[in-house]
Amino acid sequence: MSLRRRLTLSLFTILVLFAINVGTHFWGSYARSESMVAYRQAVSAGQLSGELGKQLEDQRQKILVLSTLRENTDDRLGDGDRASALEGIRATRGTLEALGGMVSDVTALQYQRLQESSNRLLQSWEGFYERYNDDAWQGDIDDPIPYLETSQRLKELEQRQAFIAVQRANIIDRTIALTDRITVLGFIASIFLTATLGFFLVRYTNDNLKRLKRGTQRLGEGDLDFRISDINDDGELGDLANAFNRMSDKLRRAIDEEKEAKQSADEANAAKSRFLANVSHELRTPLNAIIGYSEMLHDELDDDEPVDRGQFQTDLDKIVLSGRQLLALIDDILDLSKIETGKMQLAMEHFKPGEVLTMTVDALAPVLRRNGNTLRCDDFSGLPEIYNDAVKFRQIMVNLLSNAAKFTDNGLIEVKAQQDEASGDLIVEVSDSGIGMTEDQQAQVFEVFVQADDSTSHLYGGSGLGLAICRDFCELMGGSISVASTPGEGSRFSVRLPVAPASVPADA
Amino acid sequence: MSARLLLVEDNELNRDMLSRRLRRAGFETLIAEDGEKALARITEERPDLVLLDMNLPLVDGWTVCQRVKSDSAVADIPIIALTAHAMAADRDKALAAGCDDYATKPIDFPALLDKINALISP
Repeated sequence: MSLRRRLTLSLFTILVLFAINVGTHFWGSYARSESMVAYRQAVSAGQLSGELGKQLEDQRQKILVLSTLRENTDDRLGDGDRASALEGIRATRGTLEALGGMVSDVTALQYQRLQESSNRLLQSWEGFYERYNDDAWQGDIDDPIPYLETSQRLKELEQRQAFIAVQRANIIDRTIALTDRITVLGFIASIFLTATLGFFLVRYTNDNLKRLKRGTQRLGEGDLDFRISDINDDGELGDLANAFNRMSDKLRRAIDEEKEAKQSADEANAAKSRFLANVSHELRTPLNAIIGYSEMLHDELDDDEPVDRGQFQTDLDKIVLSGRQLLALIDDILDLSKIETGKMQLAMEHFKPGEVLTMTVDALAPVLRRNGNTLRCDDFSGLPEIYNDAVKFRQIMVNLLSNAAKFTDNGLIEVKAQQDEASGDLIVEVSDSGIGMTEDQQAQVFEVFVQADDSTSHLYGGSGLGLAICRDFCELMGGSISVASTPGEGSRFSVRLPVAPASVPADA
Repeated sequence: MSARLLLVEDNELNRDMLSRRLRRAGFETLIAEDGEKALARITEERPDLVLLDMNLPLVDGWTVCQRVKSDSAVADIPIIALTAHAMAADRDKALAAGCDDYATKPIDFPALLDKINALISP
């Protein structure tokens, strides 16, 4: 559960408990005051009942006295006395009515009975006073039954009222006890809940913050693989831990990428340096011959000795040859540089590869037949016309043929060409029965400045750029180049070119 | 009596050119085309000085130099390294292998003669 939800829930619970307490308090007050009113009423009614009882008793005494006087003395009652006696009876009636005003549901029955018997009693008493001075007066008032009945009724009412007063008092006691208990319980529950909430909140927050702190420290110490585990919270702290983990992931990736980028930049740099060192090396070798022979010839001319014209001419030829080698090397380096920077462009034209092949083989025939090699060529007249860069096609062929001648002694150099029936591509194969290559050598042979063996360049010369250029040209022209070879038996290079490139470069 | 030099160089043109110039300069010049032949001639003929190309087929110049310098019979023969590698690291590498001096191609011939003379005339 999220932190916010826990907090909200707990606060809500405390509020509810608080509301219950307040509600209980008000209800208790109301119930108490209600019962108090009823209690007071019961007490007042009791007082009134006592008063009524006293009035009734006084009047009965009075009547009994008067009745005895009348029987024995035959005295008459004065008008004033009679009026005051009647007034007393009316007052008693008033008291009875006032008592009626205080009657509640629970005492209604008792009051009604009291009222009935009282009315009869008071009526008979009124009759007593009215007939008192009559000659025919009979002392019929001695009958005690009505008075006793009324007294009995009054007693019953009083008992009832007392019972109700006690009941009310009990209710008040119980209400107070109940509200007190509820208040105390609510208070204790609130305190307990608040304390528990506080404890868990602190512990939970502490635990999570500690884990975050530990993670941050570990990350700060360079442990990029550290992640916060057991995230059992889907709230803010869980989000924070997840965000921390995501940040760690991103950091790890960014640093890895940075490392990779640096590594590949370093590798590229190292490759550039190696390339430059190799270029420098390759340029210096023919330059050494050019400068050395020139200086030597210069010295010979300065001597007094006669110049051997034949030897002189041969030495000049060596200078020219070295110069041409140098030029070819520079051209190769420029080509590679152009390819690498994407500036090598194709000069597209329609041409017959058969014608180019024939011309190239013818031009190189003296080289190809050197060292006792046999040259065998297909008939190229049946090859289709293709749309591509004829100059580069020729350069590829020159490189492959020179290579074959370089690495073959007393063997066979063969050139085959055909159109692939399935794809329609032009396939040219240059095979030799020369020294061949191992599989490892074949895998690297198209890389820059790689020759099959470090010692190869010393035995056979060459810059180590020719095949790299062939591969780049083939790919640029929409085709491919591959090699198959067995050490000691020879190599076969296959060039595959489309009749028309699928995607013609923009400059074509 | 003229000093005897052994020129170890695999490149035909450079070997031809340099050996002829050394002879013209008055040195008796022996020749070897690769590391194996060089080692054989050094032990057999004890030249006064070896001009050693470092990039050699079969056995390279570094190995030749190390073997010569660890063979007490010939360790005293001075060696001048010749290479087309022009980096400072290459020079250090050659000297570390035991070469007495170092010359970069294209060879500055008068400077090379000075180095040879410095090493063969004590």
